[in-house]
Amino acid sequence: MHPLKWPLLALPALVWLAPPVFAGQNVEWKDDGTVLLKLGDAYNNKVITTSRKELGSAFGPDKQPFKDVTITVTVNGAGPKGGISGPLYQFRPIWEELSGGKVNIVELPFAEHYTKMMLDLRNGTGQYDAFMVGAFWYGDIVPAGYAYAIDDLNKSDKYPQWSYDDFPPSLKTLYTWGGKSYGIRNDADGQVLYYRSDVLSDPKWQAQFKKEVGYDLPNPPQTWQQLLDISKFFNGKNWDSNDPDPDSGTVLHLKVGEQGHYHFQSLSASFVINPGDKVTRTQNVYWFDPEDMKPLINSPGHLKALEFLQELHKTGPAAQVGWSLGEAWDYFLRGKSVFVFSWGDVGALCQDQSRSKIKGKCAAAMMPSSNEYYDFTKKEFVKLDKPRLVGNTTGGSWHGVISNFSANPEATYSFLSLMAIKPVSKMMATFGWDGVDPGYSYQFLKEDGGTATIDDYVKAGWDANDAKAYTHAYHEVFNAPTMLTYLRIPGTFEYWDILDKNLSAAMSGGKSAKQALDDTATAWEGVTDRIGRDKQKADYQAAIGYKP
Amino acid sequence: MRWTGNIRFLLLAPAVIWVLAFTVFPLGYSLYLAFYKIEQKVEVKREKQPMLDAAGKPMLDDSGQPRTKNVVIKDQVNSATFIGLDNFKRLFGDPQVKEAIRVTLLFVLIAVPLELVFGFLLAVLFNQHIFGRPVLRAVMILPIFATPLAVGYTFFTIFYEVGGPLAWTGIPFLSNPNGALASVILVDIWQWTPFCFLVFLAALQGVPEELYEAARVDGASPWDMLKEVMLPLLIPTIVLVLLLRMAEALKLFDIPFAMTGGGPGVATQPFSLLAFRTGLRFFDLGYASAMAYALLIVVMVVITLFFRRLRVSYG
Repeated sequence: MHPLKWPLLALPALVWLAPPVFAGQNVEWKDDGTVLLKLGDAYNNKVITTSRKELGSAFGPDKQPFKDVTITVTVNGAGPKGGISGPLYQFRPIWEELSGGKVNIVELPFAEHYTKMMLDLRNGTGQYDAFMVGAFWYGDIVPAGYAYAIDDLNKSDKYPQWSYDDFPPSLKTLYTWGGKSYGIRNDADGQVLYYRSDVLSDPKWQAQFKKEVGYDLPNPPQTWQQLLDISKFFNGKNWDSNDPDPDSGTVLHLKVGEQGHYHFQSLSASFVINPGDKVTRTQNVYWFDPEDMKPLINSPGHLKALEFLQELHKTGPAAQVGWSLGEAWDYFLRGKSVFVFSWGDVGALCQDQSRSKIKGKCAAAMMPSSNEYYDFTKKEFVKLDKPRLVGNTTGGSWHGVISNFSANPEATYSFLSLMAIKPVSKMMATFGWDGVDPGYSYQFLKEDGGTATIDDYVKAGWDANDAKAYTHAYHEVFNAPTMLTYLRIPGTFEYWDILDKNLSAAMSGGKSAKQALDDTATAWEGVTDRIGRDKQKADYQAAIGYKP
Repeated sequence: MRWTGNIRFLLLAPAVIWVLAFTVFPLGYSLYLAFYKIEQKVEVKREKQPMLDAAGKPMLDDSGQPRTKNVVIKDQVNSATFIGLDNFKRLFGDPQVKEAIRVTLLFVLIAVPLELVFGFLLAVLFNQHIFGRPVLRAVMILPIFATPLAVGYTFFTIFYEVGGPLAWTGIPFLSNPNGALASVILVDIWQWTPFCFLVFLAALQGVPEELYEAARVDGASPWDMLKEVMLPLLIPTIVLVLLLRMAEALKLFDIPFAMTGGGPGVATQPFSLLAFRTGLRFFDLGYASAMAYALLIVVMVVITLFFRRLRVSYG
């Protein structure tokens, strides 16, 4: 007899007879009412402390409210340790243990996600229970009746507890529509300026800048014009000692069909938006004239901003015309550019030393403003004495929305809400890889009116100064007195795609700035007419809060 | 044996159903879409129904209450409005269409002739007795078997301008509008020249050796043999390959989709990619159908003209 025969035969029997030693491995219920949620390697095996009350009455040590229920969620494909998709994977075992249900995660390439979602919704297949959407998709899914309103579920004490009260108004708008709530709290997108604090505060560079440019190096720059001067000054110099090659001023992610147009949106806001207490035909508008839906995108303010962006592009690597987010971010993280203006991921990624060489040198600030803007009433540029704060919610603020065709909205809500409870949401914002960026009051520091402390970030591996600047910048960008209005009417994806292609042509030298914006405006008129001008006008007015 | 009676129809049925379902119906439906504007409205209601176990008994939850499941009841209304030729008229005033036609024509006019020329020259070369011919011929035709989408992604990494294997050249393969179009053309030439080569080689090997010998006896130089013997005999094959490659090139999609995304700007966005985006990204299905029909008409006209020319020349 082979010596291994019995052990080999016994192995399946042992496996079958073995008690479920892994049962309860992700959730621990304490007698004092606290509950521990245990995460895996991706989140450094963190343990989240929550309470039975916060988890909702549907869950308990002896309860499995969604036993045998399977839910399916779509998300932009980035893998189990990727932006937005990663947290779904990390919280899936916890929810499955809590609920008895199963979660299918369907990863779709960014370019196909919208298509697959719309095909499912238009055909009413109900193949997917929820979609991790960008807020700019709302116009296509909510008015058509494809999204499930979550107000009742959010008020119920049965499911994980979180509230819209922690949202700044600028972000709450993105998660709601027509007075109803649809979005389950997750990501908060807005662009801020990241800069190399060590380089801008270096006396050697400060003296050289003053000598060459003629004024003190502003640290950080307050206006776009200052930023361009600094960017030009540093571009082509080897100011970073990580390699012998010359470095850049500003790096941008400009690949067509991706997220290059967001750069233009954030940058141009202060060139375009006329300040005011409320939304009028000329104040606080950016996209269209709310009275007739004529595009504003080729206004002199927009044009000046695009010409400025073309100048700024020259202070970075030429190849960035074809760069996605990852490539531009890595360029900055490798210490190759002084500036990048982008999303919250960058600040958190700076702290990840496996990817970043600039931890402790990665400061963030509110986006600079232009020193002039185009006055829509006077039809002329207005010079400003001092810079102004123009915030933005540029991006997708990616979050879950439940399909109206889902047979399991409660189960789906409970899964996505598990990632929305405060301790989880707070923790996720401190990690760079997960794509979940800060924006809610409990993620901001006390000095900014929040409830977080610098220790929360330092314990998560952040440099204290980086964290302080980062959270302050995000507080400013979401609570600025003037905000870039967010476009989310039907056809937004198409409007933005047209803009994106024309911007890409302008940045790569295929078109002049004026031609690109004029072509955009012409094409937008076609889209508006096709969808219906009156319908679009009504949705646009509602979206930006304009009252005729 | 001759099949008689209804059995003939039964055996034909799968093929007929397949053609009807996957060719005729999509063709007809897309034509319908091109002339109509479709709008949808959805009303959704939910009903709670008891969950039953395998034995058909109601399932109970942890507190002993019957478990229920949601049943979604959809009331989806599609309204279609006849809009006549509106979608086709839009084609003429759409700057994106003009740009896509320009890109497609440039691509076809540059890539296809070069593929034919290179394919022919390689075929002439491989028609000689050269060292390692069987192995080299096998290697030469490998690109044909690669999936164009995979080829696009592979060349994206090869042309990657920072850190890519050709980055040292400093050539803006993807970031410059002209450079990007040239790159797409280059990749297509790389993939489809072997196809032209293979067909031309087969045709050349079919030329009787006696013709070459007769030409040699008449004192023909290699150039004369090429011009007076090979080319005239290969004309039908050349026309056929040209026809096939043009029809394929007019439908260019995969390589720019994967390699450049149609950019920068719309510098590498061919007509098919535009139609795809219009239909399946923005769900302007009527307009996309009109685009697809316009392309179909162009391809059919080209093919008809070529076949007519072939018939006239060679009976």
